[in-house]
Amino acid sequence: MKLLLPNRFKKTGAVIAPLGFAIWLLMQSGYISEMLTHIVGEPNSSTVILFRVVNAIIGTISFLSFLGGIYFVSFSREKIEDEMVQRTRLDSFQFAALVQIIFTIAGFLFMIIVGEPKDAGLMLFFILSILLFWLSFIGRFNYILHFKLR
Amino acid sequence: MKNSLKEERLRKQLTQVQLAELVSVSRQTIISIELNKYTPSVLLSLKLAKVLTKRVEDIFRLEEFD
Repeated sequence: MKLLLPNRFKKTGAVIAPLGFAIWLLMQSGYISEMLTHIVGEPNSSTVILFRVVNAIIGTISFLSFLGGIYFVSFSREKIEDEMVQRTRLDSFQFAALVQIIFTIAGFLFMIIVGEPKDAGLMLFFILSILLFWLSFIGRFNYILHFKLR
Repeated sequence: MKNSLKEERLRKQLTQVQLAELVSVSRQTIISIELNKYTPSVLLSLKLAKVLTKRVEDIFRLEEFD
């Protein structure tokens, strides 16, 4: 398949995906702001923009690194690409689609019963739904290839 | 589906790696076929039969519930 990246991208993706996600979580939990507070002091009218800009840049780069890492891991060739690998890849995509559909249906039913989430809850739900697809695909593909078929 | 790939491979005194290289697949694929964990495509079955100088039907057999 011509859309696949060379195998060397897989290791790169396996490093930058969790690293990007960890940094993004730190930013979300306020740790970056805390570090900036130690460096420049408490945010005031002149430094609040600096805090926002730094958080925005770090958040963007880290989340894009996470997504880029997932892309690298998902779309890298195996060392030997044969029909078994290609079939396993297709099966894993089907599995991931099924997991995502079930999660989406469950989420909507939950919202109908409990009520729509406040603030960014709905956006978080959709982001989780997309991430669940890719994480399910990566998990299933590697499990089948490296554990079940050995 | 059952197969006698391992027996035929040993008859030809080939290792899994050698057979895998001859039919352009990974060793893991050969292992999976021998363990009945993977059903090869028609193309791969024909390649295996050609390398092992056997008919496809002599290597791969349908089971009752197939």
